[in-house]
Amino acid sequence: MRKYIEIAKIYIKAQLIWRADVVLNMVFTVTKILFAYLLWGAIFGSKAEVAGFTFHSMLSYYIISAFLNQLDMSSLISNEISTRIRNGTFSKYMILPVSIEKYFVAMESGVVTFYLAFDFIAAIVWIFLFQIKFVFTTNLATIACAILIILLGLLFMAQLNYYLGLLTLKYQEIGTFLMIKNNIVAFVTGSIVPLVLLPGAFVSIMKLFPFYYVTYLPSMLLIGRFQNERIIGLIVIFAWCVILQIVIQVTWGKYRRKYDGVGI
Amino acid sequence: MKIIETTKLTKKYRRYKKQEGIIGSIKGLFKREYEEKIAVGSLDLEIEKGEFIGMIGPNGAGKTTLIKMLTGIIAPSSGKIDVLGYYPNDLKNEFKQQYAVVMGQKSQLFFELTVEDTLRLFKEIYGIPEEEYQNTKNYFVNLFDVKDLMNVQVRTLSLGERMKMELIVALLHNPQIIFLDEPTIGLDAVASKQIRSFLKAINEEKGTTIVLTSHYMEDIKALCKRTIVINHGCKIYDGDTEELFEKYQKNKKITLTFETATELPQLEFSELDVGIVILEETPYKKVMMIPKERTSEILRNLMEFSPSDISVEEEEIGTVVERIYMEGGQTFA
Repeated sequence: MRKYIEIAKIYIKAQLIWRADVVLNMVFTVTKILFAYLLWGAIFGSKAEVAGFTFHSMLSYYIISAFLNQLDMSSLISNEISTRIRNGTFSKYMILPVSIEKYFVAMESGVVTFYLAFDFIAAIVWIFLFQIKFVFTTNLATIACAILIILLGLLFMAQLNYYLGLLTLKYQEIGTFLMIKNNIVAFVTGSIVPLVLLPGAFVSIMKLFPFYYVTYLPSMLLIGRFQNERIIGLIVIFAWCVILQIVIQVTWGKYRRKYDGVGI
Repeated sequence: MKIIETTKLTKKYRRYKKQEGIIGSIKGLFKREYEEKIAVGSLDLEIEKGEFIGMIGPNGAGKTTLIKMLTGIIAPSSGKIDVLGYYPNDLKNEFKQQYAVVMGQKSQLFFELTVEDTLRLFKEIYGIPEEEYQNTKNYFVNLFDVKDLMNVQVRTLSLGERMKMELIVALLHNPQIIFLDEPTIGLDAVASKQIRSFLKAINEEKGTTIVLTSHYMEDIKALCKRTIVINHGCKIYDGDTEELFEKYQKNKKITLTFETATELPQLEFSELDVGIVILEETPYKKVMMIPKERTSEILRNLMEFSPSDISVEEEEIGTVVERIYMEGGQTFA
């Protein structure tokens, strides 16, 4: 375990070098909240509620989901694996006496821990600046479940990107897979539009898939809605993590022999 | 005690052969032709504990592919392979704890951070106790005299400095075997010499088995008692290094430069010119290949023409390999 903590620590140290990245990430979070403020301000107009959301609960949802979205840095994993397999430097990880998957999860944990603080500050600043009446549940069991779902969601995204990165061993180029994944994630996680605004049948289907639980459900739980879904949410996202782990093991076992280390 | 053993080890690559031009690219959408390349072919190898082995061969000979198979980075297509009692491509952590690999063009360092940061990470990854870590680190830092560079961002180091750091990182866990793939590539003479003496010390003092591939004859000559020559994926020589160079490195290249236009008088020179091949000749510069055993005699005569500069180089590796191949090296294949 200590080796993975040290891996996380070294990536925190590496993040601290690039100050511009920190500022831009905060600005990006802020821009999303600003955009949401203007968009939903126009949609709500004189209406008090839209689909059960007040203006302030909608903005609270947005701030939480933007915060969670910014925390998901797992695309770093697929990009790193893909680039290194293609240029022949993936051997850097293969020769280390560590689990490569755990190495990448630790890497993401380090990066996420670093951004967590800055994204949190950005969210707080905007709550005060726009004088948003922040809606947040006081139910401790719900908060605990939401945190667990968030952690499992981040783990799932890390696993997914690790899996997609490994596909480079077979397909050489995974740009299309990543594009599809990014579009699905942007839409289905509810970071563009809250899923509650979409047709009920569509949302029911989405509940079978993991993306519903990555950002959307925990955001809703934290603003005090969908309390009855918290346990089933935990079970579903956990089950998806287990399923994906099995798929990863099979894929790695099958494709790792295809790595030829050709490149540089 | 044998620590590396391979029998009929083979690695084949399949690669896409694209026809040229846009038509070829379009055709490739519908039908693709692949060709098979044998990078390493039926190679038998035995290495004893504590040996310092040199591996030479031209580009594409299969040296790096062999190192990749021995470290488990790639899987062999066929044949047997045993390194420290493991099948390397199983990628077992217990196996990876016992070797290190340094590839001249692939880095283990974190460029944004300092060497000290990377070493700390490797200490945890390899589970090295604090006291042992401090002792080993200090030993290497003193050996390389790099104390002042330990807290400098890696990206600001020169190539030679970075290569020393790569070696320290690789050797931190006291591996039983170290594989070095072109460790002196791109380095100047001073840095290459330092790295050579460092490797020699490691081999002698710690008994580490070292497998070194290099394009530079000086590396092999200075360090390796035994040399393996590989060409087209096959072993064409495996034996004593001194004997190899004695037998197959027959010429030296001499380059002379002059401050004023100089002619080497034909008559005078003809007494010496048996076996001399002029490679380049301008009024201010002459480059020639001469038989090795006549080096001192020819140099003595050439000095009479008062060159402003003179250099004597070893014959290129490719020529030596070609000669081994032509003169019966195929008995090893």
